[in-house]
Amino acid sequence: MSDIQALDLKGFVTHSVKSVFQTMLSVEIELDNPPDKEGICTNGHIVGTVGFAGAVMGTVNLFVSRTFGREMTAAMLGMTVDDIGSDEEVNDVIGEVCNMVGGDLKSRLCDAGLTCSLSIPSVTYGNGFRIESKGWARHEQLGFRNSQHSALVEIYVKNGN
Amino acid sequence: MTLKVLTVDDSKTIRMIVKKAFQSYDCAICEAENGAEGLAAATKEKPGLIILDITMPVMNGIEMLDRLKGDPDLKNIPVIMLTAESGKDNVLNIVKKGIKDYMVKPFKGEDLIERVRKIMPLESKTEADSAESKPVKYFTQVEDIVVLSLPAKVTRPVTVEVEGKLQAKVQEMTAAQLKKMILDMGGVSETNLSLIKLIIASFQQCQQAGIAVKLVANPKQSEELKGFQETSQITVSHSIEEAKAVL
Repeated sequence: MSDIQALDLKGFVTHSVKSVFQTMLSVEIELDNPPDKEGICTNGHIVGTVGFAGAVMGTVNLFVSRTFGREMTAAMLGMTVDDIGSDEEVNDVIGEVCNMVGGDLKSRLCDAGLTCSLSIPSVTYGNGFRIESKGWARHEQLGFRNSQHSALVEIYVKNGN
Repeated sequence: MTLKVLTVDDSKTIRMIVKKAFQSYDCAICEAENGAEGLAAATKEKPGLIILDITMPVMNGIEMLDRLKGDPDLKNIPVIMLTAESGKDNVLNIVKKGIKDYMVKPFKGEDLIERVRKIMPLESKTEADSAESKPVKYFTQVEDIVVLSLPAKVTRPVTVEVEGKLQAKVQEMTAAQLKKMILDMGGVSETNLSLIKLIIASFQQCQQAGIAVKLVANPKQSEELKGFQETSQITVSHSIEEAKAVL
């Protein structure tokens, strides 16, 4: 079984985020300095969250602005932003992107001997709220950027049962 | 023969992408959003192929797969797993259960089709099938009133199509001296920005041609229309009869 401090969490997540954006959205996204959460939140934001539990416990949070969330939805569903019917479609896309990133991380953890199960994604959206998690052994923040928008991925991990 | 494909995934987005991937082929897609619904759909529809996710609420894909394989009527339906989970042990355990293929998300629709082609033939839709799949009749006439039935889901391409047909219909009405039109939202399933733009454009086209126009929507749709600045001031009738009475 691996030591969670020795895991290349940044490497795993960087690879999966770039792969998800490129394959599902045809959007090239590059690793960047973690953006200021307040900056992403200016006009409303969406947070996708997925958890895993077992020999290791953790969560993956994906923060994007509402505008970027709508553009991601249009790209993934092959439509224009104007054609997006409701927030439900945007939430589903953010949840699914988060599920793919979390699912890949969960698989890497299992391959490292840290067997765990993945939760169903949840999505929170609105204005002026913060999400803070405490009591974790590791906390990583990764920033991503395409030509116009930023995304923030947070990973929290600790030893499980 | 049309291939029935059952896609089981809690994400509507993934089900839409799967559906889109098969749209050029002679396939009928049915959907389920968890394992329990998937089993029920498999029993009812007897699909020729199941595309199955793992992490889902109510019943996950592994339990659904176990139940499928335990049912003599369903155990031979080919299953392709389509999941975000790619851990080696996980994949090996699931492959042992007798699936045809295991595909990891993220994925592209064309890659899914390629995997399907490896286990069964897929026939392209004929031109006749394609034409049949989109029969569109927007206009009907009730006495001296033309009724435009707005489509279930309005997207930008649909807006362009309907506006084009409306322009031709308005010219036809002018020539026939018909001066009344009803926009009927009875078949609309989703109130979105493209629909709002289409309603406004339709009102403008009619008004420019001197045609009186009324909008018919149910009470829920009426409330939704009030939420858009562009349509908040439009007086809405709740039935064709009511609209006819005020025209």
